[in-house]
Amino acid sequence: MLKMRQFLPAVAEQLFRDIQKSYQETSQIPDDLLIPLKFVFGPCALQALDLVDRHSVTCLSSPSGRKAFQVMGGSGCLYTCFVSCHYCPCPAFAYTVLCRNEGLLCKHILAIYLCQAMGVTQQASVSDQQMSLLLSETAAPWHRNVWCCVQQVDQCPQVHRNSMDPTPC
Amino acid sequence: MADILTLVFRTFMSQTGLQKDLSAAPPPPTARSALLVGEPNISRSVLLLAAVTAASEAGMRVIFFSQTQIQSLPASLPIFFFLLLKKIRFSYPRTVEELLQQVASLHEPTNTSPTPPSLIIVDRLESFLRAPGEQSCAAHLCALLCDTAAFLTHILGQQSSSAAPCRVLASFQSEVDPGQRGGEASATQPVLDVLDRYFLVRYTLDRDTGYEATAAGLQEIWHIYLSGSGVTEVSGAKDCEDTPAVAQDRSLDVLLELDPSIKGGTQSLKSKFLLSQKVF
Repeated sequence: MLKMRQFLPAVAEQLFRDIQKSYQETSQIPDDLLIPLKFVFGPCALQALDLVDRHSVTCLSSPSGRKAFQVMGGSGCLYTCFVSCHYCPCPAFAYTVLCRNEGLLCKHILAIYLCQAMGVTQQASVSDQQMSLLLSETAAPWHRNVWCCVQQVDQCPQVHRNSMDPTPC
Repeated sequence: MADILTLVFRTFMSQTGLQKDLSAAPPPPTARSALLVGEPNISRSVLLLAAVTAASEAGMRVIFFSQTQIQSLPASLPIFFFLLLKKIRFSYPRTVEELLQQVASLHEPTNTSPTPPSLIIVDRLESFLRAPGEQSCAAHLCALLCDTAAFLTHILGQQSSSAAPCRVLASFQSEVDPGQRGGEASATQPVLDVLDRYFLVRYTLDRDTGYEATAAGLQEIWHIYLSGSGVTEVSGAKDCEDTPAVAQDRSLDVLLELDPSIKGGTQSLKSKFLLSQKVF
């Protein structure tokens, strides 16, 4: 499970635990959990569920053991988020969470929590240097290319997994 | 992180102080990240003392990020402390992008072997956060620092290192006068609010300009206010179960004997810290 749960209020933590339990047993999230999800997280709950449906969350790992999440937003932009604390380079996080302090998190981070609870996070590997680059950069158009390459590498075992060379495999 | 700072204050505490009660020093919070807010000269001296103390007392590997080169060290350091400087890696990124890259690469094997750093220090965060959109940039930097520390803690744990966990210590100069709480918000306040999200303990340094302080001559008295969720957690944990946890500010009074010579932007301290703790 995510280490960054310490940043969530207890009610949200309990909600994710209930979702995890329910999804493990029935492979769905019942209405009596969707309603509180909407109540706690507001309009971004529905948007996050949409991201979950589209398998937009990928957990990247590097040989050093470092991990990070990458979420493909609705517009196709890729957002790199951290494993142990809340940060997302999206405009909604900057405005709603940081500036106005009106929300706990953005739809991308909520999608990460939901994917982790439901066990539907995609997995991919990158090299240590690529991980460093991803962690230090804010969202940029080339991230999409990196992500595509990562997906190709991950799905193509004959290619060295640490290679980010965008040649087709 | 607060345990290192407490150690700094204990190590350099005044032997001629008016009040000396070590048991009254703040309990070491479990928080692994701390932010020093105050004048850059005094903050940098405390950061350097923390780096040297961590390297000497706890055998930690320390990495010290600063935009401006360190040209002098606190004069109060015993000579053998200077031998410990090789345990401290000084790095001088020029921009926030360079700082982000260097922090992000700390997980790479070149930085973690034979042992990873267990104290990451960033001097004068505000010097890196001058571009537009600095709130988001500040959040990115702080989140990266905390995530990196969490990862390095995991590595240190795997190595069964006594230097675990990895801690983060940074300084920030706020435009808000720490003595005027509740005053008008300054331009740096939004950034400080962001920093408070990620740093669990904040030490606000406030120089006492009162009569007693003036009468002390070369010595300066600093009030250090402790705040943040890390402090609150400790206070809450110590409360009785049926007593609601009340967020408490804690303060230290620190007496500093200042060396009149100030070199290279680093205020030399004949550092004699005097601790007295007030909980109010």
